[in-house]
Amino acid sequence: MRPAAPLLLLLPALVLVPLLLALPGLLHGGGWDLIADFSAAALTPSLDPLVLQSLLSGLGVTVAMALLGWGTSLFAGLVLGLASSRTIWRTLLGQEQPAEVIRRLLALPRSIHELLWGLLLLQVLGLQPVVAVLAIAIPYGALVARVVSDLLDALPTANLEALRASGAPAPAALLTALGPPLLPGVLSYGGYRLECALRSATLLGVFGLGGLGTELKLTLQSLEFHELWSGLWLLLAVMLALETGVGLLRRRWAMPRRFGLHQFAVGRRGREMVLALLALVPLLLVVGRVMGVDPAALAHWQPLPGLASGRWQAVLSLPWPQLVSGTLLLTALAAGLAVGLAPLLLLLTAPWPWARRLLGFGWMLARLWPPPLTLLLLLFVLKPGLITAALALGLHNLGILGRLLRESLQDGNPAPEQALVAAGSGPRLALLYGGLSGVARPYLAYGAYRSDVMLRETVVVGLAGAVGLGSQMLESLSSFAWDQLAALLLVYALLTLAGEDLSDRLRRRLLRQV
Amino acid sequence: MERPELAAAAPLLELRQISVAGRDRPRLQQLDLQIRPGERVALLGSSGAGKSTLLAVANGCLRPDAGQVLWQGLPPERSGRKRRRQQARIGTLWHDLRLIEELSVQQNLNAARLAHWGWPKALLNLVLPLETEACAAALRDMELDPALLSQPVTALSGGQRQRLAMARLLRQQPILLLADEPLASLDPRLASQLLALLLRQAQAPRALLLSLHRPDLLQGFDRVIGLRQGRLLFDCGTAAVDGARLRELYGDEAAGP
Repeated sequence: MRPAAPLLLLLPALVLVPLLLALPGLLHGGGWDLIADFSAAALTPSLDPLVLQSLLSGLGVTVAMALLGWGTSLFAGLVLGLASSRTIWRTLLGQEQPAEVIRRLLALPRSIHELLWGLLLLQVLGLQPVVAVLAIAIPYGALVARVVSDLLDALPTANLEALRASGAPAPAALLTALGPPLLPGVLSYGGYRLECALRSATLLGVFGLGGLGTELKLTLQSLEFHELWSGLWLLLAVMLALETGVGLLRRRWAMPRRFGLHQFAVGRRGREMVLALLALVPLLLVVGRVMGVDPAALAHWQPLPGLASGRWQAVLSLPWPQLVSGTLLLTALAAGLAVGLAPLLLLLTAPWPWARRLLGFGWMLARLWPPPLTLLLLLFVLKPGLITAALALGLHNLGILGRLLRESLQDGNPAPEQALVAAGSGPRLALLYGGLSGVARPYLAYGAYRSDVMLRETVVVGLAGAVGLGSQMLESLSSFAWDQLAALLLVYALLTLAGEDLSDRLRRRLLRQV
Repeated sequence: MERPELAAAAPLLELRQISVAGRDRPRLQQLDLQIRPGERVALLGSSGAGKSTLLAVANGCLRPDAGQVLWQGLPPERSGRKRRRQQARIGTLWHDLRLIEELSVQQNLNAARLAHWGWPKALLNLVLPLETEACAAALRDMELDPALLSQPVTALSGGQRQRLAMARLLRQQPILLLADEPLASLDPRLASQLLALLLRQAQAPRALLLSLHRPDLLQGFDRVIGLRQGRLLFDCGTAAVDGARLRELYGDEAAGP
């Protein structure tokens, strides 16, 4: 007795049982009037020109930070990705060893969340635009590098070998054989990363690095819900435009959807793609200039206290087992919530197209809204703690996973589901048997990847207090305890690397059985 | 307003003045058709003549732009339980079979019962496949080995898949059998076997409407409907289908092999 594919998909939702049981105990009684005010304000955002002006300039800063961080990461990632590709090294030098070494080294910047990079750089460089840009560019660059090298090494090498055998020099052969098939995949992933970068830039703002995020947090804290919603609607408009634009380009260039739940024929208008990539360079330079990003500022480090003077005894006496287990539990709860709730909600709303549209809109808000703000909102009615933090993190990722599941259902083969409806089964059961069966394994594989991301993201809900390594790190940062911070970062990085390895294995296993 | 005895005597399927719009020309135009219990009707026409559209209207997948569909004398309910019960009485053998690749043979067979099952049974069937005896019987009827029940659908051969789709169709216990070019991709021996099976199942109170694009397999059918460019060209007994009619149906193409 092994659960069949569609049931496998619903298993993570079992996490709802303990969550719903614990929820009544978490309510602290008050705050519902605030939630009501907040909801009501959605329809009456502030239209005060002064407010709008300040929000718009904040939005401009956020978008510019996102664009610069993303652009830098894209180019750095391309270069580093090539440098960590086994195929490249094998073709150029005849050995793969250097690729492995670079790959390992890149794991470290990748394992640290952009928020931590941001807060660290803030301490070192002081508050200036380059901090947010670097905070995004460093981890994103390492992520792009990994995707580029994975894509490269997965390409069939028959063409390459044929070119080499016919006497083409190695660089030319590599470019001719691997360039065209690589580009659509990289650009598709790049488009997705731009959406992430906008979310990250907003998040960094929430933690004080400027831009719209800072405005949002201030308005929420001062309970100016009308102004808060003005900012949210603006952000929503930008995000919608971005998602639509990326979607259009994806279709125009026939790029694969991210994480390829379905394989399409890929690549059209290659020259246009290359030109678009090149046009980014002047755009980024102009934006950087306007923002006042000054690379020279990187030279001016504030002196850090030496780690040698650390009080390591005190570091050792931190409650490590609780910190680690708290982080893992938080991740598991948030992951179960996000992965399991998406198919469950799609099933519940299956008979009603209007409910589907409403759900899609709710998901959009969820992925737009930075998790620490969700957390602040939840804290109006819930006590702080692990479950509240998990809710905030889970809801945000639900928005991302839900959209992915809906897209892959739309791209999938509708025939089996249609056949079941024609044979008289209800819309929900037809979706369960006919629709979800086909997407179950690739979706869960993506869920495994996303859980790994959530592990890294636990730090952003660290504000909930006493919920693992993340909150301890925020505390150490604010009290300038560098020795603690170094130890925490190391443990966190090790944990996320182990998590990455686990999620990779799980993903391969899920996809192999297709 | 319908009296039960009237409904019982009504045709299983009645199409009145059905029209379906298409991109450049109508897919169906003012089509009338009745199918009564016990009738075995072949739907003939070249590709693009509107056969699949007609079947999609007949099984409720497609709502016509004009005209009326009646199932056992009653119009389709809008939605809900009554509609599902109506749909459950119409079984379709799809051109592409539409098996669920990720599920086992038994789970696929049971998918035909979803119209009658609630959530508990539907979910349980995904862990412990239910109603093994009925499923085994359905396989035996199609001359398939019941040992296949626990196999994934992907492990079956092309011929086995075709038979499984038939078994699933019959497990649905429909009274109106629709089949969309079921013989097109089969070799001649398999095609005649499958056709014989379908014809045998279509005894009163059941009826069969099967689409074909070749006129050489008409033996065993009571009636033939000729469709050309979305219009009904003829609706007559099998014996009345002659060379002249086929030439008219297929245009300049040769009238069959």
